[in-house]
Amino acid sequence: MKTKWYFFILTVVTVSVFINNYFSVHENTPFKVGVLMIGDSRLEKLTGLKKGLKELGYEEDAIDFEVKNAKDNQGLLDNKINELLKKKPDLIVTLGGVETIALKEKMEEQKIRIPVVFAGVAAPKETGIIEDYRSPGGLFTGINNFHTGLAGKRLELFHELVPSVQRFHVLYDKDVEVSVLSLENTIEAAADLSLQILPTNVSDAEFEAKLSQNLQKNDALLILPGFRIESLIKEISQFSKKYKIPVMGIYGDEVEEGFLASYGTSFFDQGYQAARYVSLIIQGNSPADIPVELPDSIRFIVNPKIKDELGIELNNDLMDIADFIDDESEASQ
Amino acid sequence: MMIKRLINWFLSQPIRIKVLAFGVIMSTIPLLFISYYYYSHVKADLEVRILDKQELMLQILSSEIEMEFNQTFQQLQIFSSLKQHEKNKAAFYELLQQNESIEEVVVTDHKGFVEKKVSRYNLNMPESNEQWFSDKMWLDFQTKNKVYGEVEFNRFGQPVMKLAIPYVENGNRKGIGVIIQLQKTIGHISSLRQEDSAYLYLMDREGNVIAHQDYSKLWQKRTVEKDRNVLGLKTEISDLGWTMVMEQPAETIYEPINNMFQNGLFAVALVTLIVSLISIYAGLYFTTPIIHIEKGMNHLKAGKRPSPIGLIRHDELGKLSQAFNEMSEELQEKSLRLEQEKERLNVVVNGIGAGLALVTKNYNVTWMNPRLSNWLSNEEIQLPCYTLIGGKNVPCENCPITCPDIEWKGEMIMSMNRDGGEDKLFRHRVFALNHAIQDEGEFLVVIEDVTKQKQWEEKIIQTDKLSALGLMASSFAHEVNNPLATINAYAEDLSDRLASPDDELDMTEMSLYLSKIKENTERCKRITSNLLNFSRKTNWTLSQIDVNKTIQNSISLVESSLKKKQIQLKIKIAEELPLLLGDSLKLMQVLVNLINNARDAVEETGEIGVEVKAEENFVSILVIDNGCGISKERLGKIFDPFYTTKPVGKGTGLGLSVCYGIVEEFGGTIEIESKVGIGTTVKVRIPVRNKKREEVQ
Repeated sequence: MKTKWYFFILTVVTVSVFINNYFSVHENTPFKVGVLMIGDSRLEKLTGLKKGLKELGYEEDAIDFEVKNAKDNQGLLDNKINELLKKKPDLIVTLGGVETIALKEKMEEQKIRIPVVFAGVAAPKETGIIEDYRSPGGLFTGINNFHTGLAGKRLELFHELVPSVQRFHVLYDKDVEVSVLSLENTIEAAADLSLQILPTNVSDAEFEAKLSQNLQKNDALLILPGFRIESLIKEISQFSKKYKIPVMGIYGDEVEEGFLASYGTSFFDQGYQAARYVSLIIQGNSPADIPVELPDSIRFIVNPKIKDELGIELNNDLMDIADFIDDESEASQ
Repeated sequence: MMIKRLINWFLSQPIRIKVLAFGVIMSTIPLLFISYYYYSHVKADLEVRILDKQELMLQILSSEIEMEFNQTFQQLQIFSSLKQHEKNKAAFYELLQQNESIEEVVVTDHKGFVEKKVSRYNLNMPESNEQWFSDKMWLDFQTKNKVYGEVEFNRFGQPVMKLAIPYVENGNRKGIGVIIQLQKTIGHISSLRQEDSAYLYLMDREGNVIAHQDYSKLWQKRTVEKDRNVLGLKTEISDLGWTMVMEQPAETIYEPINNMFQNGLFAVALVTLIVSLISIYAGLYFTTPIIHIEKGMNHLKAGKRPSPIGLIRHDELGKLSQAFNEMSEELQEKSLRLEQEKERLNVVVNGIGAGLALVTKNYNVTWMNPRLSNWLSNEEIQLPCYTLIGGKNVPCENCPITCPDIEWKGEMIMSMNRDGGEDKLFRHRVFALNHAIQDEGEFLVVIEDVTKQKQWEEKIIQTDKLSALGLMASSFAHEVNNPLATINAYAEDLSDRLASPDDELDMTEMSLYLSKIKENTERCKRITSNLLNFSRKTNWTLSQIDVNKTIQNSISLVESSLKKKQIQLKIKIAEELPLLLGDSLKLMQVLVNLINNARDAVEETGEIGVEVKAEENFVSILVIDNGCGISKERLGKIFDPFYTTKPVGKGTGLGLSVCYGIVEEFGGTIEIESKVGIGTTVKVRIPVRNKKREEVQ
């Protein structure tokens, strides 16, 4: 009888130790990161994110990515969000403002608590995604790409780059809050700089016709952030060429497409910078504690070919600091 | 005390438990020692490696930060060295382009107000009388070449820091300042992936945490203290006054070796399990035969027949089992034999006519057989043996219980008066038991009822005596006849002389006649009284015997028959013979028988000699004749009862047999030497005993 008890206890001890060892060995399962994007235009951010994580020491097998792409279809976005939430990732990275706002709504609706890193949102505080830049206070944190706050600076830079411009047509999207906020910032700056601006709402189906009718000599086109505007790059480039109007955008790819210049952080850089947030959250930080950051780098890119096509003169002071489009391809490598 | 109790407890356990404990101890203790050795060794090694790694990392990171700031100051130096007209917007923008961390570049006048400003995010429009320096910075600015501001936050909550250098332009001490964004540095340090929960943090010169991998600890005051649960290093970034610390909690440092230790424990548990199984098997392998043998032993003890142990092994235990099987078989057989012996013995002991008793050396009777119990009454069983059996108050003389060294013939006759009032004779013998258990009876007393035997013996003696008398009757008649004739002649002569007066018959003559008659009458009387005395039937009576007198009496009985055959009797009796103890009549009967036999063997005119002499402790009586002798074949049978060589009517064949019995009774010996044609010598040796006077009486 004693022997039976002895064996029973010994077996229990052995099995317990084995199970304990087994679980401690399997603790290091990959971190599951969900990625939400409105369309393929954001893919560059994902590339940046992956590169950033790799440089921070996360090998590919350390993180399991669950990517959901709404293919520029806002209606599809909700489905993609639902799919993603069902997968119960440890962390979600949103690659833009629209995705972030939609996700926030869904999560509040479904009372789901997952930390979210936004890899570039134009005005996170103003759009209610966060409470405060220094301590966001909720489940959301990430990068303020400053495209809203930068709108006035872009106007100033554009003016300095092409001093001959008299009037600035400002393209904004009335349906996109960020776009509207950017317009407000631009109006303020125009007042400070004593420049004339003419806002045009792209959500108006006939904005192009209206704009073309309103054109004068020495006019220029300033693009404000907004996903609808970002999807209209090609059309705007053609418009620029057609009416010989210099266009100031935000991203390098816009300049590649045919804008004269751009000033803003690149998608790649935003993704790259967001990797830091992912790492911090993996390391156990709460998103509520991690301050929202401004972009690490803001690029000023000029397309000399377009300058020639438009036949305009540019301020040489600024030409010294600009990255030219040929360099851009090198820089992004 | 506890250990001693534990040891005692362990020692009291069965062998299989001991084998199990031995196996477990032998397997786990070395394993635990080895594990502990490697654990401590690896632990120390791990600490050294971690500290090396931390040092390297801190060096790299701190030098990166240092380099970044130095680079910024260098850029500022270059900017300051530009001529006044060269410090245009393009130069400002170039600075911004060169250094991505710079948020804003300003040139201040001698009062510290912003003269020119180019911003990365904001419009390049300085506020009026914008004081760029903080008080502390302004103080440093007056004396130092490099001025560091405090870590502060811009309106977007970003950590920024102002850097400035002074330069002289047109005799005025102006300044070039930049606002540096720290988020990249801080973010890089914070988000750097660390293995095993190590963390980095950066403190400014005030002790505020400006970068930490745990953001909840950011912007708190902190002092680097040596926490025992944390392994860490710190390094100071010179000029900047920042301290970079790298720490790793002890529990994560030792996680790999703890895992190793856990694995070790698992191995120990597994080995213990396996060793236990093996030990149990080994324990059972060794102890099963012993248990079987123990069971068999218990069966044997309980008197049952154990089933044989079916253990087919060729080792010592196998041989032991086999030996046990053989032993138990043999024991069974012996037990059976013992039972049979016991049964026989019981039958003998209970059925034997003799009484048996076990007596201790203190004369206590511990056991008696039913026969003896019947002879005794129950209450007497408590008495010592001499009282119970002999009816005496003291132990018997020469009892082997009292004197174990004395050689005792072990035979003693005694009489007991039993309930019926009838006196009975018992012969008891005492045997010392060599394998007796103390106080359970070291001596066996055998008691036989010899009353009838004695009666028969007496009868035979008497028969023999009467037979001898019968044979001697004619001689007696002749012996008596002679004096009677003499008496008759004297009486007739006296009567005749009285009838015819004779003067010669005087008183003297008459007295002579009467004396002759009296003398012959006396002779007759002596003969008849001697005859009567001899023929008297007596039991064995103990008295002191005058050997000489007894021989004379015997001779007087046979004298006439010797005379009749004209046999010469030569008597040679030593002087001063010791007195013998016994029945004189019985000794007489022996002598009469021996002389009669000699007479019968001797031819007429032959010789018979009777010699009596004293030897040491013996009196030897020799009856020697020169008769026909006895052949060797007959010599062996002559003591047999009813064996006779004499013609019918001459003898009963009891004579020598009776003689043998009587001499035995005296404790003596009788030997016959004979040669055919030469003669026969019979030697009787009677021991001299010093009996106490009272016994004799």
